Amino acid sequence: MAAVEAVGAYTLLRLGDDGGDTGAPGQFFMLRAEPAPAAAYLPRAVSAAWAGDGELAFLLDVRGAGTRALTEARTVSVVGPLGRGFDLAAGPSILVGGGIGAAILPWLRRRLEQRGDVRTVLGFRSPEHAVCAGIVDPDATVVLDPVLVTEPLARLLPASATVYACGPDRMLEAVAALCAEHDVPCQLAMEAAMACGFGACYGCAVRLDGTWKRLCIEGPVVEAARVLA
Amino acid sequence: MSSPDLHADLCGIRFGNPLVNGSGTLDALAAGTLGLGAFVTKTVTLHPREGNPPVRIAETPAGMVNSIGLANPGLDAFCADHLPRLGELGVPVIASVGGWSPSEYATAVARIGAHPAVAAVELNVSCPNVESGCIAIGTDAGETRALVERCRSETDLPVLAKLSPSVSDVAAIATAAAEGGAHGLVLINTVRGIAIDRDRLRPLLGGGGGGLSGPAIKPIALHAIFHARAATGLPIIGMGGVASAQDCVEFLAAGASLVGIGTSLFADPGLPQRMLPELGRLVRQHGAETIEDLVGVAHPRLSSSTRA
Ligand SMILES: Cc1cc2nc3c(=O)[nH]c(=O)nc-3n(C[C@H](O)[C@H](O)[C@H](O)COP(=O)(O)OP(=O)(O)OC[C@H]3O[C@@H](n4cnc5c(N)ncnc54)[C@H](O)[C@@H]3O)c2cc1C
Ligand SMILES: Cc1cc2nc3c(=O)[nH]c(=O)nc-3n(C[C@H](O)[C@H](O)[C@H](O)COP(=O)(O)O)c2cc1C
Ligand code: FES
Repeated sequence: MAAVEAVGAYTLLRLGDDGGDTGAPGQFFMLRAEPAPAAAYLPRAVSAAWAGDGELAFLLDVRGAGTRALTEARTVSVVGPLGRGFDLAAGPSILVGGGIGAAILPWLRRRLEQRGDVRTVLGFRSPEHAVCAGIVDPDATVVLDPVLVTEPLARLLPASATVYACGPDRMLEAVAALCAEHDVPCQLAMEAAMACGFGACYGCAVRLDGTWKRLCIEGPVVEAARVLA
Repeated sequence: MSSPDLHADLCGIRFGNPLVNGSGTLDALAAGTLGLGAFVTKTVTLHPREGNPPVRIAETPAGMVNSIGLANPGLDAFCADHLPRLGELGVPVIASVGGWSPSEYATAVARIGAHPAVAAVELNVSCPNVESGCIAIGTDAGETRALVERCRSETDLPVLAKLSPSVSDVAAIATAAAEGGAHGLVLINTVRGIAIDRDRLRPLLGGGGGGLSGPAIKPIALHAIFHARAATGLPIIGMGGVASAQDCVEFLAAGASLVGIGTSLFADPGLPQRMLPELGRLVRQHGAETIEDLVGVAHPRLSSSTRA
């Protein structure tokens, strides 16, 4: 059974955990409302906001037919965990989230806190969107448009820390460039249009190592250097 | 009541069940065979192809359009790295081949056809997502006939021709493939389509146009299969919008001996496993003992003796 609640402009979807593998932070699931409406026959790729204590939670930016159907569904089919998640490094961490990219961070933060100091910088387009910062990290530094999240990030660098980032492509490019400049290791959780999520359709092409690769197989979390290559 | 026999036959190859994937809709090395009776490879071309720039897929009502652009590792890597591993899947492997000229196809068919892992070769003359070659051949009866003839002479394996529904007379192309010596047909590839970006009002896909697949194309697929079967009597792998066991028996009735699933695997990789028991029930319900008993029953004029 699905439970749905608003978190500012976003929606938290909590599914009962059926006891299956829930994976690790940064991995994703293909979710489909059942029965599927014709306008959303394909499932949607969504990262787990967290998993454990008998539930799988997702933070959704309800944009189109698929995400809307998920928030209205009695039953949701779940395929996953899929892809490669974050590679948790020892020592301090910096989490960077832009918009709905913040959805992937709560679980990651809980894990990283066991390994060292964690600082979080988040950027949103409005105060309503920023409400979810509370479930990512109550102590996060939050900026709103037109301020870019790279501003507070730049103030934290250089640092002997690992940077973990998720957000729009432009933000990820800027974060990757900034980390490269300061020689700070950086992992990016990327997005691409996905039909299957398990390597079957070749739809999720992203430029990695200078060529088109399937993000659902290589990622969605990749070393920033592979994007810059 | 004993459960019905779900074995299927095509061109002398025996399959544990009649379900296969559509070429380009499953990577069995990444995801396994999902309970299918055979594995069809993504179309392989002589040289490696990166594929088209994104966006490559877009959802449309009850389906999707794609412009993947035949991304594949190329013939050398396919034969050296993929085929040996595909040979261990435990189901018959059908290798899909594409190209820009008959000699490209012939080279690939000769190499792939000589590999012990391969049970049959499928000629993709129907990909809508490359500029020339491929579908340009498959929309012309004479070129289709000549290509099939050429490829037949390169291998002893069954040669199947995969045809496009985006032609004015699919039965004529099917007949040409039969005249060229095709052992069987695969119908249908995607239907030519285009998606417009709702905000920018420009083509959404990086390749411009694309191919439509999914439940939206099921009646088009049934039509093509029905008429290709009536025109040629060749065995057919039927596909296009299959999403349930009910769809599967309809495809068998229209003339398919094996039934392919593509887009619906994306939506539900557990589908084949769940379809099989239901398929068994439906076969029984229609008074049949085997899958073969239902093949072509929608054709009033076909008698079992015309079934190749
Ligand atoms: C690995 C991964 C993790 C994600 N995690 C989350 C998350 O935690 N929360 C969340 O709200 N969203 C997440 N998304 C994005 C989510 O999948 C899309 O927002 C969703 O597909 C949009 O669906 P819709 O039904 O709202 O919109 P619609 O307009 O109905 O559908 C969007 C369609 O466009 C395709 N599409 C085109 N471009 C993209 C793109 N850049 N990203 C995704 N799909 C695209 C999709 O395949 C889908 O079929 C994630 C995407 C990926 C790839
Ligand atoms: C993403 C995608 C990639 C495809 N790639 C190929 C391909 O490489 N070669 C080919 O012959 N057909 C290809 N097809 C066509 C399918 O094999 C199948 O013929 C078609 O999708 C209709 O079946 P469906 O409606 O069940 O998807 C592709 C289809 C899709 C959706
Ligand atoms: S989403 Fe289908 S290959 Fe990656």
